[in-house]
Amino acid sequence: MKMNRNERNRTFVIFMFFVGWILIIVFTLIKTQVFNYNRYLTRIKAQSHRILSLNPKRGTIYDCNGEVLAISVKTKSVFISNKIQQESAKLFARIQKVISISRDKKKFIENRIKRGDGFIWIKRKLRDSEYAGLKRVKAKSARGSIIGFVDEYKRIYPQQETAAHILGGVGIDEQGLAGIEYAFDDLIKGKGGQVEVLVDARRKIFNYQYLNHPVSGRDIHLTIDSTAQFFIEKELKNLVRHFRAKGGSVIVMDSHEGSVIAMASYPTYKPERLSHTPSRFLKNYSISFLCDPGSTFKIVLASSALENRICYTEQIFDCYNGSYQIFNRQILDVHAFNKLSFEDIIIKSSNIGAVRVGLRLGKEKYFQTISDFGFGHKTGIGLPAEESGILNPLGKWTRTSIASLSFGYEISVTPIQMLRAFNVIATGGYLVQPRLLKQIGSQVLSQSKKQQVLSQSTSQKMLSIMTKVVELGTGKQSKIEGMTIAGKTGTARKIKRGKYEKIYVSSFGGFFPAQDPVVTMYVIIDEPKGKYYGGDVAAPLFKLIAERLMIYLEIFPELDGRNEIRI
Amino acid sequence: MKSQKKQSVSGIFILVTFMVFILLFTYSSLNLKNIDYGYKMQKLIQHQKTLMEEIDKLRANKAKLLNLDRIEKVVMNQLGYRYPKPEQFIKIFEVSK
Repeated sequence: MKMNRNERNRTFVIFMFFVGWILIIVFTLIKTQVFNYNRYLTRIKAQSHRILSLNPKRGTIYDCNGEVLAISVKTKSVFISNKIQQESAKLFARIQKVISISRDKKKFIENRIKRGDGFIWIKRKLRDSEYAGLKRVKAKSARGSIIGFVDEYKRIYPQQETAAHILGGVGIDEQGLAGIEYAFDDLIKGKGGQVEVLVDARRKIFNYQYLNHPVSGRDIHLTIDSTAQFFIEKELKNLVRHFRAKGGSVIVMDSHEGSVIAMASYPTYKPERLSHTPSRFLKNYSISFLCDPGSTFKIVLASSALENRICYTEQIFDCYNGSYQIFNRQILDVHAFNKLSFEDIIIKSSNIGAVRVGLRLGKEKYFQTISDFGFGHKTGIGLPAEESGILNPLGKWTRTSIASLSFGYEISVTPIQMLRAFNVIATGGYLVQPRLLKQIGSQVLSQSKKQQVLSQSTSQKMLSIMTKVVELGTGKQSKIEGMTIAGKTGTARKIKRGKYEKIYVSSFGGFFPAQDPVVTMYVIIDEPKGKYYGGDVAAPLFKLIAERLMIYLEIFPELDGRNEIRI
Repeated sequence: MKSQKKQSVSGIFILVTFMVFILLFTYSSLNLKNIDYGYKMQKLIQHQKTLMEEIDKLRANKAKLLNLDRIEKVVMNQLGYRYPKPEQFIKIFEVSK
């Protein structure tokens, strides 16, 4: 079929029209995609691209049996966008009815609304019931969009006060502030990430791409046994209250591994309320309390004397009937003794006898043993605020220093240092580093460092003496039928305004079963009222806790077959 | 002869157009599917997150219920239990014949 001229013209016009149309489209596309590429890319990104921050979840802290001691859970925090002050004020009045909020905080928020601040936190880390109530308020209110919610993690300590001083606590932004939470914050907190998402017109995400992957905080397993920790804290609290003492501490350690089973301190606090707790409650007595150890330190003197072969256990020393003068200083004994054997000096805790041994030992050898036992240095348990104690260098010792140090004065120690010293004898002469961490993430930590500081034979002699302290001496109140306990009592005066006053620190350290120790324990009570001797205050608590530990750890007493059935 | 050539050109043109159409259709439908999968995936991720949060909350609740102070009060006050003394424990040995 042949087209006529008109038809050809019409076809040409239509063709040209289409060509023109296509050219316009092509030109527009080129303009949009090439020349204005960056402009439109920016626009589309602003509309559909979002970069979201991903908060890492803080690691969980467990005890040695896998019981949760600290865990983070997601909660909501509520804020208002204060665009119209009147509306915000009205809405805030309704919000107050569904959340608990202090009067001061309420006033503070109202002032901020009046001032015209744009973004105002109402309450962070809401309870589930509060969140449900707020959602209702938001849904019912015409101006509900003023209320906004943000996801945040909240740290929960299910055991409440148990192991508070070990765990420490976190701040409002989940940052570690004390204890393990602070010491291992870098490991526990993890690392935040970022994700780029594409959202549609309804702001629903339909595509995402990680810019930085978030790294969850690592879980931590402690050596602490929460059950033992619980009943030890309870017994300590009862005793401190009974003696109207200022505070106290009990530390229990696995003798051979150095794993701390329990570390109780009183007064205590709830980790969830850390930021509202007065500082005196936050002090961890076990690692931060410095005092002269008193007679418990005689175990270091006796170990040094025996190790250096200065005397033998049956050697007799003159105890000058309870009063002895050294230079311008008078040393007194609680009970007057004429003569005592080396062994009896420790069993009966004679200060004069100890001074006589110390003078024979000499300051160089004694200083060496004190240093070998780790005094003057932190134990390295891994908790913040651990004190290193005060041990004067040999050059600063005065003429009477050897006498004072012989019965545990002129040196400041922490309870954990004393526990470690007692453990030297329990382990047959090894200085074992106490530890709190058992596992980080999936990595099981190696056993504590050990260093031999006493010979086996000296340890055996010391063990025999310390057993007699409990059987016959000042530590009788720690005696348990059927169980051999080795220990030593201590009573030390405290310094106030540079002077030793009649305020005391009572202590008792020991381990059991004496022949094959499983547990080493140190008890210290600060300023007990009424009775104050270590044998009267700390030793009975040692016994009470030891009895319960025996049941819990299945260390049964030998009762001449009375508690045995053979089948 | 000329009309035959024209017909084959038109055929090729139709075929190419059809193929371009198929290509565009496949591309756009795959793209739509991709977006659809994106939504589904996002929904699943959100669901997984919710479940994980729920698990954490349940673990925290379980730990709170296992609070020793609470258990001790229940056991001693409601059930009347008392702590045993060490001598009340009896060791049982199996003696081989």
